[in-house]
Amino acid sequence: MTRGGRPPGPGFLRACWIVAAKDLRLEGRTLDALSSMVLFSLIVLTVFSFAFDLTTVPSARLVPGVLWTTFAFSGVIAFARSFQTERIRDSLTALILSPVDRGALFSGKALANLVLVLVLQAVLLPLSAVFFGYDLPAVAPSLVFVVLLHTVGIAELGTLFAAIAARVGRGEALLATLLFPFSSPLLISAVKCTSAVLEGKPLAAVKPWLLVAGGFDVLYFLVALVTFEYVLED
Amino acid sequence: MDRLSHPVTVALLVIVGVLMLGANFMVFLYAPDERVMGAVQRIFYFHVPAAMVAFASTFVMLGASIAYLWTRRRIWDNLARSATELALLFCALVLVTGPIWARPAWGVWWTWEAKLTTTLLLGLLLAACVLVRSYADSAEKGARLASVLGIVAALDVPIIYRAVDWWRGQHPVVFGPGKKDPLAPEMRNTLSFCLLAFLSLYALLLLLRTRIACHEDRVQDATEMLGARGESA
Repeated sequence: MTRGGRPPGPGFLRACWIVAAKDLRLEGRTLDALSSMVLFSLIVLTVFSFAFDLTTVPSARLVPGVLWTTFAFSGVIAFARSFQTERIRDSLTALILSPVDRGALFSGKALANLVLVLVLQAVLLPLSAVFFGYDLPAVAPSLVFVVLLHTVGIAELGTLFAAIAARVGRGEALLATLLFPFSSPLLISAVKCTSAVLEGKPLAAVKPWLLVAGGFDVLYFLVALVTFEYVLED
Repeated sequence: MDRLSHPVTVALLVIVGVLMLGANFMVFLYAPDERVMGAVQRIFYFHVPAAMVAFASTFVMLGASIAYLWTRRRIWDNLARSATELALLFCALVLVTGPIWARPAWGVWWTWEAKLTTTLLLGLLLAACVLVRSYADSAEKGARLASVLGIVAALDVPIIYRAVDWWRGQHPVVFGPGKKDPLAPEMRNTLSFCLLAFLSLYALLLLLRTRIACHEDRVQDATEMLGARGESA
């Protein structure tokens, strides 16, 4: 935010895209976060199958909870990583010095994080259909919509909190402490909607939940746009 | 307002003391026994005001956090910090008194019901705010990050409530739109009086805690000044 006149840097959308593309290119070359996310979520899924006997309970009852717990935990890896990499060579300072709106930095980071979690979900959803035996092709369109809607909110909050955790010099532990209680409405809604979809109900049956999730996404996007500036400041 | 013996503080202290004594009198001697639950229902007169104060304090935190980010005056952060801690304190009171009542009334200590879950989550959010403030390596950074978190937390509370309410609900709804007032006049008087007593207790604690925070700031400033002088000498 420069005072007096337009900032000389790129516009909001362009800046957002540049930041996201940078993060994704970095991830594409190293596969640092994605490899640990996929591995970690496989382990979590296996642990869940030990903890609950998933073969005796109908899949619509347990699978939503298992899936979203796995997504949330592996999301933490991606979110924390996106600011840890910036700290190693202090490139966060360079980002802060760049003449772009702080909101655009946030949006770029959140977009890259969102893409990472979506990639993980694209791997995990077919796998979970194999593991837990539900008919993925039949529910795919509504399931993709539900997953997308809720992941947006989780990625937004995760990005904001990862920045806060990085600022106080704590990593994943603090991030998880912040992310899970704050995103609880979203997680409840995600589980409710996913379970309705797996039971073969139409999306209209969970319309209030979808509205809550959509409202959550919009509200916290706006809140993060305004407050990210204060998080980055040094 | 610097000394503890300041007339305003003393006056508030006396008022709170009288109100709290009066509240105890009303709860235990004036209010009648509840028909079904009996004496254990009297915990209601502490539980409900504590819950109201906890949620009110969360919104004081929201206002003070916004004011701090806007003006950057440390008094607002001191207020936000005090409101956060007090909200956590009253939240803990709610979470302790609730199960004591729930055990005889519902037969269980805890149930994942909307108001209980919301209060528990509120406690976790407030604890997160306190944690971030204490983790930060400088007071200014802690204030900034905790303010951001405080705003996010306070906005989250109504959404959490909406969500867990749809998720499940069994908490007794004593007041609500379209409901006839279910309380006997003595019960209503007692509740109003207890609410007043708790609000004045909250006001006093907020004042004292904020003032301590301001003193801490001054000690911090003085220490830094002495340190700087020591280095230059």
